[in-house]
Amino acid sequence: MSRSKRMLEELDRDIQEHIARETQDNIERGMTPEEARYAAMRKFGNVTQVKEETREVWRFVWLDELWQDIRYGLRMLRKSPGFTAVAVLTLALGIGANTAMFSVIEAVLLRSLSYSNADQLVRVASIWERGGVTIPYSSSPPDFFDWRDLNQSFSSMFAYQTSERALTGRSEAKRIRAVVGTSGMFSTLEAHPLLGREFRTEENREGADHVVVLSYGFWQAEFGGLPEAIGKTIELDSEPYIIIGVMPREFHFPLQGSDAYMPIGFDDKVMTQRGAHYISVLGRLKPGVSVAQANDDLQRIMAQLRKLYPDKDEKWGVTAERWSRALVGDVRPALLVLLVAVGLVALIACANVSNLLLARTTVRQRELAMRRALGAGRLRLVRQVLTEGLLLALLAGGASLLLAHWALLAIVRFGPKDIPRLSSVGLNAGVLVFTMGVSVASALLFGLIPALRSSGMDVGGLLKVSTLSSREAGRTRSALLVGEVALSMMLLAGAGLLVRSFVGLRSLSPGFDAEGVLTLGISVPDAHYKNSLALQSYWDEALAKLRGLPGVASVAAVTPLPLSGDDFSSSFSVEGRSVPDKDQPSAEVRVATPDYFRAMAIPLLKGRGFIEADRLGAARVLLIGERAARMFFPAGDAIGQKVRFGARGGYEKNEGEIVGIVGDVRHFGLDAPIPPIFYVPLAQAGIDGVTVVIRAPGSPAALGQSARKLIQGIDRDALVGEPVLLETLVAGSLGQRRFYMMLLGAFAALALVLAAVGLYGVISYSVAQRTQEIGIRVALGAARGQVLAMVMKNGLRLAVLGLAAGQVAALILNRALEGLLVGVSTTDPATLAVTALVLLIVAILACYVPAWRAARLDPMAALRFE
Amino acid sequence: MSTKEERERVELLQGTLDLLILRTLLLGPAHGHAIAKAIEFNSDEVLQVEQGSLYPALHRLIKRGWISVEEGTSENNRRAKFYRLTAKGRRQLKVETTKWDKLAGAIARILRPAE
Repeated sequence: MSRSKRMLEELDRDIQEHIARETQDNIERGMTPEEARYAAMRKFGNVTQVKEETREVWRFVWLDELWQDIRYGLRMLRKSPGFTAVAVLTLALGIGANTAMFSVIEAVLLRSLSYSNADQLVRVASIWERGGVTIPYSSSPPDFFDWRDLNQSFSSMFAYQTSERALTGRSEAKRIRAVVGTSGMFSTLEAHPLLGREFRTEENREGADHVVVLSYGFWQAEFGGLPEAIGKTIELDSEPYIIIGVMPREFHFPLQGSDAYMPIGFDDKVMTQRGAHYISVLGRLKPGVSVAQANDDLQRIMAQLRKLYPDKDEKWGVTAERWSRALVGDVRPALLVLLVAVGLVALIACANVSNLLLARTTVRQRELAMRRALGAGRLRLVRQVLTEGLLLALLAGGASLLLAHWALLAIVRFGPKDIPRLSSVGLNAGVLVFTMGVSVASALLFGLIPALRSSGMDVGGLLKVSTLSSREAGRTRSALLVGEVALSMMLLAGAGLLVRSFVGLRSLSPGFDAEGVLTLGISVPDAHYKNSLALQSYWDEALAKLRGLPGVASVAAVTPLPLSGDDFSSSFSVEGRSVPDKDQPSAEVRVATPDYFRAMAIPLLKGRGFIEADRLGAARVLLIGERAARMFFPAGDAIGQKVRFGARGGYEKNEGEIVGIVGDVRHFGLDAPIPPIFYVPLAQAGIDGVTVVIRAPGSPAALGQSARKLIQGIDRDALVGEPVLLETLVAGSLGQRRFYMMLLGAFAALALVLAAVGLYGVISYSVAQRTQEIGIRVALGAARGQVLAMVMKNGLRLAVLGLAAGQVAALILNRALEGLLVGVSTTDPATLAVTALVLLIVAILACYVPAWRAARLDPMAALRFE
Repeated sequence: MSTKEERERVELLQGTLDLLILRTLLLGPAHGHAIAKAIEFNSDEVLQVEQGSLYPALHRLIKRGWISVEEGTSENNRRAKFYRLTAKGRRQLKVETTKWDKLAGAIARILRPAE
């Protein structure tokens, strides 16, 4: 029962008692009992009103007391600015890191997609099963049509492909982002045009497909938002498209948005090309249908398809995954690991502050005992200590918001571009609430231990004994400290593993020399170049002009460019080997000019390279990468073999005799396996888009603008991409890994600093407590070295204990990092040893300072202490 | 000397009741009725407290931690609540007394400038 309730409950009795006494007095003065009682009542006044007023006194008592606690707490914090600063900063770092990390998680993983009922959107993908590994893959249109028409789980489904188009017919072609899709696209996304209409099923046919729906932004930029745009024509890749609609401002598809939406123009042969996987598929679940049910449904259909088309579909499976989840597939586990890591940092921070508070409370035990003696209830004292904790947490919460804000600015600026929605991360209301939650939770966490300590103490004893060395308090502090060191050890080991893995990857060669190479994507509208010869003379002219630029050592062309994220693969057959269609091997196909290998410094290992004479009309030739040669021609007889690919990228068939073996290239990134690659000469491919690689040892970046001018001087409808340094692509291929490494590294560094501060704090405190004892020892002749060793030993014992626990924990828990490591085991002994050493050194330093101070203690001053 | 009835009764200024209670308790713990009596008696009955108003004041002082309360038995063996001045209350009384003296002095100087 609260004090106020108790006080009020007895008020009635008190008043009756009072009136009875007055009555008695009056009777003694000679009044009759009635008179006496009447007079007493009159003198007392209005009983109801008195009761009401008294109740009023207690009404907001908790508020008053809280205010008192807060004012008192603030005064205490002001009185020891050093403690306050360390505690607030420690907490702010812990909470700030948490807030930043949670903001990232919120933006990337949690925030729902900006489509209505986005939860129902499911990505359906083919899966290619290679030796036990299943990889989600693009789908083929015939498979898509069958999934769409035979399923019972989806209310609608559509297929799409993202691409770039050139907006032509102007003074200079402009690159726009385009999506081509099937007719159900907008309705599946539950989006409807602001103006005009969406495309119709009959427009998904070659010849009928030259209609376009514009995005709001594109419509505003190109047509100033005029509704008359509908029905007008724009030229894309030098072909006319009729504008049939405009999407609303808030519509963005895919996530990063697009400028124009066109129907896919399927040709008559589409249903025969079941093996051509190039479209992405999204479906909307019927209400109440789960992803698992949809998966079962699709497996059933796929089983039928495998029976019907064994040669094309046998190796293919299908999988459905919630789109929001599929988008962040590989990012998700990494971010969750980081979230746990940052949680540990917060835990360390809390342990630290808890220790600080605990130490302080012990120092303040006399003050608290005094307050208790003066009538403060036990609950009130606990509350007072908790309030101080809460104040610290609130101050830290504010500071942490600032820290998190800066951290997020850095993350957006320097974070990898391929984590979806990372750029949209920001401190929002949800995150604010989260921080406050963390603050309050930590206040409770670290306020609780000291509060329990302070309330359980013996009042009389404390007032008498001047220095109370509470063994229990010491034990709690030691336990917290050991835990802190253990957690830091774990984080440090984890960060160490990531660093080791990253350094290992960084030292890998991509297979080419990226230094001093500028890349520039160029594509021309095939409407202008109806055959391979026309295309070839265009490329000849373009490359020749680029070679004339000042400072250029060599100019070559390739497609797709390594590390660009693009790839082109095809199944192939080898002449003289009879293999059923479905068992045909598959490899990457690159189109390149003869000097590509020189420009990139890719070595020729055997045979000859491409020469200028390898053109249309001459014998068709191929080069093969080392890995592919070993994989497909293990007998070492690759050269001279005739190979024919199923898919073509340009006008010409990809086929020919292997004339040489070249070095391998890590096309998919330094951290991905080396793929088997074949090369086709550009002059025998008939292709309308390549990436030009310009080796210019001086300053390649400066060439970008003049290169663009040259290209557009030849054909103004040619689309020239942004010039990118090859080195940027190489670095970018490890962007996510670098990001995770930096974050975990930052958290580990934070943990290390916090553990060091904790160690320092606890040792300093124990030295302060033992000042008299140390003084006596010194006075009795203890050498400074002995004192130093004694204090150090105390601290290091805890540190080593924590280290050992941390090592064990790291061995077990760092398994969570498995997916983030390449070439390093999660139990890598070298990493564990080095991180343990680092931690030990830091621990020694943290203990040394207070120990040194203890050793220099003047015995006379120490004995006078207190 | 005039009779009691003819004397003017003075209404208490806001807050002065608190001061009087604290002052009364300086002499030792007392129960509510005794406090009221003591205030009346010590002021030669100039100050007529409406006794009920004592209670909100007592509760206010308890809440502020200036007085504490304990159960006890009074002179005639009846159960009663005794109010006791706390250390904090003692300090407060000093502060309040000084304030009151200043106030009273100031008012006196204004009202009787000649003296």
